[in-house]
Amino acid sequence: MSTPLTSQAVEPAPGVRAHHEELSWWRKYVFSTDHKIIALQYAFTSMVFLLFGFMLMVLMRWQLAYPERSIPALPFVIPLGIIGLVVIFIAGVKPSINSLMGLLLLGLGAMVMFLTSGEERMPEGIMLPEFYNSLGAMHGTIMVFLGVVPLAVGAFGNFVIPLQIGAPDMAFPKINAASYWAYFVGGVVMLASFFVPAGAAQSGWTSYPPLAAVTPLSRDVLTGQTMWILGMVFLITSSLLGSINFITTIIQLRTKGLTFMRLPFFVWAQFVTSFLLLLAFPPLEAAAIFQLMDRVVGTSFFLPSGLVLSGTPLNVSGGGNPLLWQHLFWFLAHPEVYVLILPALGIVAEIIANNIRKPLWGYKAMVYSLIFLGFMSFIVWAHHMFLTGMGTVMSAFFQTTTMIISIPSVVILSCLFISLHGGSIRFNTPMLFALVFLPMFGIGGLTGLPLGLATSDIHLHDTYYVIGHFHYVVAPGTLFGLFAGIYYWFPKVSGRRMNELWGKIHFWGTFVCMNVIFFPMLIQGMAGVSRRFYDGGQQYAHAQSVLYLNEVMSIAAWVMAVFQLIFIINFFVCIRKGKKVTENHWQATTLEWAAAPTPPIAHGNFLTRPVVYRGPYEYSVPGHAKDYTPQNQARDV
Amino acid sequence: MARTAVLFTLVATLLVLPSSKSLGGNVAGKANFKGSKPAVSKIRMNADARCMKLHAGKEVSSEQVVVNPNNTLRYVFVYVKKGLEGKKFSIPTEKATLDQRGCMYTPHVFGIMANQPIEIVNSDPTMHNIHALSNNSKGFNIGQPKGVKHVKTFAKPEVMVRVKCDVHSWMACYVGVLDHPFFAVTDGKGNYEIKNLPAGEYELEAWHEKYGAQTMTVKVEAAGTKSVDFTYESK
Repeated sequence: MSTPLTSQAVEPAPGVRAHHEELSWWRKYVFSTDHKIIALQYAFTSMVFLLFGFMLMVLMRWQLAYPERSIPALPFVIPLGIIGLVVIFIAGVKPSINSLMGLLLLGLGAMVMFLTSGEERMPEGIMLPEFYNSLGAMHGTIMVFLGVVPLAVGAFGNFVIPLQIGAPDMAFPKINAASYWAYFVGGVVMLASFFVPAGAAQSGWTSYPPLAAVTPLSRDVLTGQTMWILGMVFLITSSLLGSINFITTIIQLRTKGLTFMRLPFFVWAQFVTSFLLLLAFPPLEAAAIFQLMDRVVGTSFFLPSGLVLSGTPLNVSGGGNPLLWQHLFWFLAHPEVYVLILPALGIVAEIIANNIRKPLWGYKAMVYSLIFLGFMSFIVWAHHMFLTGMGTVMSAFFQTTTMIISIPSVVILSCLFISLHGGSIRFNTPMLFALVFLPMFGIGGLTGLPLGLATSDIHLHDTYYVIGHFHYVVAPGTLFGLFAGIYYWFPKVSGRRMNELWGKIHFWGTFVCMNVIFFPMLIQGMAGVSRRFYDGGQQYAHAQSVLYLNEVMSIAAWVMAVFQLIFIINFFVCIRKGKKVTENHWQATTLEWAAAPTPPIAHGNFLTRPVVYRGPYEYSVPGHAKDYTPQNQARDV
Repeated sequence: MARTAVLFTLVATLLVLPSSKSLGGNVAGKANFKGSKPAVSKIRMNADARCMKLHAGKEVSSEQVVVNPNNTLRYVFVYVKKGLEGKKFSIPTEKATLDQRGCMYTPHVFGIMANQPIEIVNSDPTMHNIHALSNNSKGFNIGQPKGVKHVKTFAKPEVMVRVKCDVHSWMACYVGVLDHPFFAVTDGKGNYEIKNLPAGEYELEAWHEKYGAQTMTVKVEAAGTKSVDFTYESK
């Protein structure tokens, strides 16, 4: 980011080595061990991946709306090019994050040009089914593993946790840096897979074997699927390093007086999320290695005997079990859903408490629900597998646990809704995103119940209903939480605020478009339209009555892209030109606003280590002079 | 000087002799069919309404076994199996065409040289999938929406490469991939003709999708046509 973290001389906090020597640009911004810089590295990298994953979806939506018609690539490329040049222009010739981001946007434009050409992808601009499969697999992978989780956990967690708990840095700064660089390498490997023969992975973001594990036609070892596995190994390693760091930091580095029940809900959310990452990812790492061996050295962990592919017996040793992969994958991937949603819940809780100017209703119930939800998330995974024939006893167990896990989610959501009652609500941009998060996540959660029941899942499994459901959770759910967080903590990072008017335009446009995109998917799914059709279902009689929705959804997706361009411009312009803010811009109670300088200082975070005297949301305390009482304030002043 | 030039011309002529078309002989014949004609199996295209529509709902005959009215067999691939070892032949630059029309492959059986380009065309208003199951070369498995063309090659000789559509289970065709241009496929009268074969003794093989392969030896003169007939019997 072009606004440097100020390196003012400060008294080091206890336990922090004072070192004021000027670091080189590379040490300061690239190979940094400062949690705030690492958070920004995570933020910018993950936002570039989010944009890239979004572009893949934009291309897919063309194919779904207008199958077998040549794609006009330029309308997709030109905006990226223009925005890239604008960002570079704003940044000037001086090397900075802005100019780097401008170049990255230009690079994304070039990438889209590459993707929309080529005999193996889009001959004469017409998308091949294999390439559509690649786009689907990589859209899911990039959005989940390279976009949302790194932004929600790597960026927000890294930046906010130490500031909110009064810590000078993360517990293991070098491991923190290693975590980012493992993530970066994983991302590069994933991106590079688009350039190998036959393109990127095509087996969905779930990479189910035997499809994903066999290499029937390609004698090349380095296929897209193999690179997907390698990339995942790096990403999982990154998550493990990060989660260990987060857990240790939250347990060990809380400042004096900050008991667990005084922790901001955001910290609790990140704490539980870290346990999920720590415990759920290792089985997938093992599974990824197994699948890598199946593909490269001829083992059959996931390949059964007697496997026949397109009428040809496969030359594999056999004896493996494809369902083993599904169990190992979903043992991670269902907790992963909560990894996606919990940090957003944490962000939303912070913003709602701050903007209703009163304490959160049921803080303790929310915390206990969070912990219970974390435990339960490990015993619901097989509701993704009702149709694998695992038996009614197993199905009954997992549908029961799935119904149970909805209870803590509803408790948290209800607490946030009830908190609004009687509040003096400030409808600023972060609050708008946070408010809308509640019903959107509600729709996402409620539409999940029919999928969690083994009987109704028979009809809905693998249809667009599933896509609509989890996108309601992750897109207008998590992403709205993340947008709220960006608008909320942008002043903390940069010392300036984002433009409110453009922020609200961004909000309303995105909110409307999101619903026009995802609600029709629920309708299509109930009509039985499969999520895998590369032509949106044109060839299937049962899809005909809801085919027109494809065009509606696609147009909404492209309009939404325009609103995201508004966000990008607002973001980069305000880094330099945004209105300067006061120390505690939002008049918040938590330590990152109340005790840490804005923008934050480079080393140690705090001029003096704060002491906490009260809970995180003491707003409008009767008898107090101001309508907020910061955590580090000993008594009312 | 003049003697050297004549000698050089003579040597050059001898070197290019194997690929010369003017000095070869021809082999022609037919694939006879003995016995009772098998019932013609019908293809049900119910799986894809667009394919049904292309045939106006009429049943389509399978091309696996086509017995001509003159009791000969169509789609028999005849080629020189032995006798051309060590000889090099130029690879045609013109593309062979494999069309998907009416949810059937056209032609059903054909031959090409290794590394000769095949242009695969989809003339149908539906998506096809071209799945080439090659043992010797790198196969391919690609989807092809309507209006899209693909150009593919097979790097090494192989008789036969099966090509199928994974979307429409009845669609299959066979490609004979050779390192020489001496092959032919029997037509609607059961006839084939291999032209301009250099003089010499060869083993010919006739391959049929259902009735298998049989070989015959033939001695080809520098000019003229040798007649070689094959006979398949009903199973």
